[in-house]
Amino acid sequence: MVAPFLLGCGRAMSEETAFQSYIEGALAGLEIEVDEVERAVIKGVWALYEPGIRALLEADLDGVEQEMHPDIGRAPQ
Amino acid sequence: MSGLDLGLRAQAEAIASGQLDPAELLDACLERIEQRNPELNAVVETFPERSREMLAQAPRGPLYGVPVLIKDEWPLPWRAQRFGSAQMLSTPEPGESGPYLALRDAGAVIVGVGNMHELGMSSTGAISVYEPARNPWDIERCPGGSSSGPASAVASGLVAGAVGADGLGSIRYPGAYCGLTGLKPTFGRAAIAGHEIYNTETIVSGPLCRDAGDARLLASVLFGEEIPAGEAQPSRIGVVRDPLWEDCAAEVRERCEQGLDALVAETGSSVVELELPELGLWLTAALMVAQAEEAARLTPERVNSLRKEVSPIARGLMKLRAAIPATLPARSLLVRAQARRRLAAIFEQVDMLAWPTVPAVAPPLASPLVELPSSGVVSADVANGRHGTIANLTGIPGMSLPVGLSEGLPVGLQLLGSWQSDAALLDAAEALERATEREFVELRPAARA
Repeated sequence: MVAPFLLGCGRAMSEETAFQSYIEGALAGLEIEVDEVERAVIKGVWALYEPGIRALLEADLDGVEQEMHPDIGRAPQ
Repeated sequence: MSGLDLGLRAQAEAIASGQLDPAELLDACLERIEQRNPELNAVVETFPERSREMLAQAPRGPLYGVPVLIKDEWPLPWRAQRFGSAQMLSTPEPGESGPYLALRDAGAVIVGVGNMHELGMSSTGAISVYEPARNPWDIERCPGGSSSGPASAVASGLVAGAVGADGLGSIRYPGAYCGLTGLKPTFGRAAIAGHEIYNTETIVSGPLCRDAGDARLLASVLFGEEIPAGEAQPSRIGVVRDPLWEDCAAEVRERCEQGLDALVAETGSSVVELELPELGLWLTAALMVAQAEEAARLTPERVNSLRKEVSPIARGLMKLRAAIPATLPARSLLVRAQARRRLAAIFEQVDMLAWPTVPAVAPPLASPLVELPSSGVVSADVANGRHGTIANLTGIPGMSLPVGLSEGLPVGLQLLGSWQSDAALLDAAEALERATEREFVELRPAARA
């Protein structure tokens, strides 16, 4: 069974992006074994979220002050 | 009418007043599960002797004698959690989880374990080692995930209340799909000890019930303190039209607008239009923060050991997570800091936020896709994520409330509040029930008749 979640994501299966190449390399480097179906899932999911991941990498966060030991259940100080 | 058809607090009151015998209620509950569950697959295990032992030893607490279900995410002293999966990255053991202790100390009787989406990895509930739970409104539809079994069980009247878990929307999504009231509490307020991901800053336990009063009672038990009921105050309710209202199925948007209008009229509130251009970034950050919480377990040896009984989707996702560069979760924590400050500023302007819990009704189990105005047919997970994950990223509370039907399936309106404003959300939910004369919380699927 190939991920039903990935239907409607045509680009996912057709194009090899730099990020997908990176993931392939990382999996190989970590000696993580991936079969054909798992690879299709990984490519599909990565393609779905790649625009958001690119935006995360490109976001200007240099001026953002990290919260020190935040209590997530409270408003930020 | 059977005592089983009463709500959670009505059952508790009837037992306390002697009108309902808790042993008879437990037997009736087990019998109903036996009768109705084969079609629904909401309950994956019952343990009548353990339940009877719990009842025999139950203190006269606020849920004395009331049968409840608990999600397969929480260990019990006699049963390890399985997360709806054939295999986990660690070896779970039985234990006294926080939700178990809270229920036990309140006098509740845990009658069974609720199904869930495999490893909590989806908002749909479409995959489970037990086979998926079914939505009682249409058994070919997704019940929502990952707390699929708890929602299906409450909606179908197997129990009046259930404890779920919400890491990226997993109480609110099934609440919406099954027409229930589901509360994702402020992070840290509800019992969580014993959870598999012990270092979580996103996951909470919380109630799935038929109405806000029941959710308040069960949440009070999980919080270990009473959440007092109050009168909903006139509020400024923030709405983000684009994309959270506009990019929804038309009838979902209409039902939610009607619900919001009713709430505004009942409470003398006002609507404030807001923009949240950062929403897409916050969604990605939420996913990255959540995946980083389990990263310590994602060793090559462990992910390589995942057997074929685990779905290829879960195996692929685990392996992908193991390979994600550390830059992404690190940057996501900066985004979280930014998001929390931005929300704090927004909650100076408004008292709560409102938008549809999910942009479309429950999709088919066989193909969990939904159609959105902006993008056509997409994965329900992708569509749902931007509606729910903001609460887990930032720690704020959120609720899903039933506001009617579309295509014969429930529609949920989500309310989100500032940190620690759980009581105010519950008050607002009760105001909405009054405004609609409880029409939507009284709706029942045909499978329950």
